[in-house]
Amino acid sequence: MTSFLGGILVVLLASVLGGLVRVFRGPGAADRLMAAQLFGTAAVAMLLILSQVMAMPALLDVAMVFALLAAVTLVAFVALSARGRPQ
Amino acid sequence: MIDTMVIFDLLLAVAVVALAVASMTTRDMFAAIVLFVVFGLLSALAWVRLSAPDVALAEAAIGTGVTGALLLRTLHHVQTVERKAAPEPLPVPMGVQIANAAFCGLLTLGLAAAFAGAPRGGPGFDLLVADAMSISGVDHPVTAVLLNFRAYDTLMEVVVLLAAVIAVWQIERGLSDAPAPALGEVWQGFARLTLPAIVVVGTYLLWVGSSAPGGAFQGGAVLAAVGLLLLLSRLYVPRPSHRGAARVAFVLGTGAFAAVALLVTGGGRMPFEYPLEHAKTLILLIEGLVTISIAVTLAALFHGREPVALPERAAGTGGRDDA
Repeated sequence: MTSFLGGILVVLLASVLGGLVRVFRGPGAADRLMAAQLFGTAAVAMLLILSQVMAMPALLDVAMVFALLAAVTLVAFVALSARGRPQ
Repeated sequence: MIDTMVIFDLLLAVAVVALAVASMTTRDMFAAIVLFVVFGLLSALAWVRLSAPDVALAEAAIGTGVTGALLLRTLHHVQTVERKAAPEPLPVPMGVQIANAAFCGLLTLGLAAAFAGAPRGGPGFDLLVADAMSISGVDHPVTAVLLNFRAYDTLMEVVVLLAAVIAVWQIERGLSDAPAPALGEVWQGFARLTLPAIVVVGTYLLWVGSSAPGGAFQGGAVLAAVGLLLLLSRLYVPRPSHRGAARVAFVLGTGAFAAVALLVTGGGRMPFEYPLEHAKTLILLIEGLVTISIAVTLAALFHGREPVALPERAAGTGGRDDA
């Protein structure tokens, strides 16, 4: 079972590494940031699986914090770029 | 068959190092920030694999919430200032570069020496801490070390934050008159759902710290996100009249921590030596007040200026459309 869950972890991590292409190539700032947002979701999934694999229920709290705060960077991006636009 | 967890760990290790290199070498500053945020995310996973959920939680709370927003705001500030005044950035003198490199090299050598000199394969401090848990007043070893056995170190960490905000308020002053950004309906729903949830989770992390990973720094960093969101959406705009309350909040953690440390002294006890029957109460009191201080200080550092009404002449020189 652990081996199976480990396989899922590898797939999730590979999906993050695949998404890095978007961060590197852009072309727009929004493209880069949306890719990073996707990684937040993958990280939550990985933490939930790791909490099972490692028998560490505290990781559920870490996943919760990730899920809650992932959008803060996005809000900062939207609010700041709205502010920077010439009126 | 190779264990899939080994593949995961190897992949994670390579990715963390590669992201660290990429975020330092990439030329596009926005891409560098995004890469740094992703680096923080994967290093939190690395801490998890090293069985350090406390560090992972701190990395999650600070790395995803405060750091990304703070870096983006800094980039925005730099770009607005550059667009306005457009002073050619001076090249860093070769001497400064060499001095920096030498300093970093010395630091790395020092770390390597400390690592090489550390006792190998020993039990570390685990046994010492485990033996002393009954006199700590809490159930979680990390909290026992941070708030009781090594409380002085933690006090100094709180002092660092206080010093940072004092320095920022010395350097930058002025009121921000940025217009409220039009964030639309998605933001309305997001704020309604998320802001209360962040408050609940931040308080929960503070409370759970006595028996599981959590505590003042993690709780404070999560709560600071509320301040960040309010500042970004301009639902809250700092005014000169708010400075008194802000100053009290900045000093609250350091002051209460130091006061408790000194007040328990006497009757044969040293500073920070809490009486056992009150240890948990005192630790929770300190952590509660430190959490408030950390949350307010981080939000103030994000805002990054003392809200004072400046004379008109001086006010024009600051990055006024920035908050």
